[in-house]
Amino acid sequence: MAVDESVYMLGEGAGMKTHFDAPEIERLYPHRVITLPISEDANTNFAVGLALQGCLPIVDVISSDFLYRTMDSICNTVAKVNYVHDEPKTIIIRAEFMTGGPTSGQRIESLFAHIPGLRVVVPSNPRDAYSLMVHSLNYKGATVFFEDRMIEDATTRQQDRLDGSSADFRYSMLPHESFEPILTVVSYGISLRHVLPFYNETPIDLFDLAVLWPLDVDSVVRSVIRTGNLLIVEPDVLFGGIGAELAAQVIERVPCRVRRLGAPRTTIPACRDLHERMLPSLEAVKKVATELLVLR
Amino acid sequence: MTLYETMLTIRLVEDRLQEMCLRGEAGDLHFSKGQEAISVGVCAALRPTDHIVTHHRTIAHEIAKGAELYPLIAEVLGKRTGLNRGRAGEMHVHNAAIRHDFSFQLVGTCVPVSVGIAWALKNVKKVEENVVCFFGDAATSNGQIHEGFTIAAIHKVPLLLVCENNELAGNIRPEHYLPPGITVADRMLGYGIPSMSVDGNNVHEVREATLQVLPQLRRGPFMLEMRTTRLCWHKQGQRDIRTKEELDVLAERDPLILGDQILKLGRRKELRAAVDAAFDRAIADPNAEFV
Repeated sequence: MAVDESVYMLGEGAGMKTHFDAPEIERLYPHRVITLPISEDANTNFAVGLALQGCLPIVDVISSDFLYRTMDSICNTVAKVNYVHDEPKTIIIRAEFMTGGPTSGQRIESLFAHIPGLRVVVPSNPRDAYSLMVHSLNYKGATVFFEDRMIEDATTRQQDRLDGSSADFRYSMLPHESFEPILTVVSYGISLRHVLPFYNETPIDLFDLAVLWPLDVDSVVRSVIRTGNLLIVEPDVLFGGIGAELAAQVIERVPCRVRRLGAPRTTIPACRDLHERMLPSLEAVKKVATELLVLR
Repeated sequence: MTLYETMLTIRLVEDRLQEMCLRGEAGDLHFSKGQEAISVGVCAALRPTDHIVTHHRTIAHEIAKGAELYPLIAEVLGKRTGLNRGRAGEMHVHNAAIRHDFSFQLVGTCVPVSVGIAWALKNVKKVEENVVCFFGDAATSNGQIHEGFTIAAIHKVPLLLVCENNELAGNIRPEHYLPPGITVADRMLGYGIPSMSVDGNNVHEVREATLQVLPQLRRGPFMLEMRTTRLCWHKQGQRDIRTKEELDVLAERDPLILGDQILKLGRRKELRAAVDAAFDRAIADPNAEFV
């Protein structure tokens, strides 16, 4: 917001959010924070109006579950205006994967990855969240930008902090340089954090997708050509998820063994412990990786 | 061009498009036959710097705001040379040259988008430009419209809401979309948005009402309810629920009756030739391409 005065932030209780979470924004740019009612659909369309007048709006829809209430304006307005218009407009729709029950915590990123005209982003750490937000603001088009309450609740490691030197996106691939990789693991979001301990003790190529559309299949294929094994670990429901798409695209290009880990197609329980147990665990990653490697 | 000449131009364009629809040479288009006085009267009161945002029935508004015929017709016919490269068709047309900011097929969308545009003009660009949003009476039962009215009223944006009240939702009558005894104007009371009801088939009355209301937009949104008559089908390819007798009665209010009497003396032939020339050129153009 300091760099570009056309960046506006809006949404339900946007003012309250900056008051508690980002007081600097409230102090420096109070006129660029637009507090709107609990009217998700109109709020996103309001942002389209701002974008048509040259603003760079970031719509805070708060919870990923609330995105269902603005599916029409995202899929029918945002994505289509950018198709029809001579100059695609930068619009960012931001929401968090929450915890707390059936309508607090749904991971619906793959739904948006299916819609032409939308770019979909799920950072796995605060530093990449910043980098991807800067990138999204510079991108001529619409981005659905997810954050994750489980990541926000986790301890921030030193390497995940923004050190001021560079805002480059870091984790598109985490290479091991000292040995030949035996397995390609692809993950993103909170699941990537569950894979990291395995990466630290095993010679694997690990990819953080982070950007679900456009999907960087080429990099994954290059790795799979060397390893012959692909393990996809995703926090979304496994059925019809990004992992299925990635697996299909890779296997169409290079013969390999593929396994996927993801959440069951189950309603999110209110109990946080149960919710976390729905996600692929480190133990499950190790078990499936071992099975893949035994076949090798 | 006079107001009647603009209305007649719209009618001639839509009539020719309808002939093409009936021959299967164009899609199931949406026309404004009988409602032309609203777009023409309102746009005649606007400055070129004012903005319009429209719905799915928007060929009339384009012409009323001053669009060139050829690129518009090419767009409606899906041609590469169209106003929006043949991607928008009739229902998503936009035209920066005349500040027709966008049109939206989905009923209700135009209102919250207009509110955002008006907010940006007032608070970001800080210019005294107005936004006019056209929508139908049936759209007032859509959720996005209520959300949009609410934000418009809270933020006091310079937005003229023009309700084209043709007492139809596609092929559905008001008893299915308005609470008993409630008019569109009644609904505005709930938002604190002032409103006025106008004979939407009298182009001079429409223009005068718009001129009267525009200065008030500095204080916030205003709604003009235009009572009108749709004399065509909801869309081509879909028959009408109304009887012939009913349509004959409505046709007596055709905003072009008076215009026709005047134009018999003068430029009808000339306008027709201009419309035909635009069609001939557009029809010969290549179709749009995949991107």
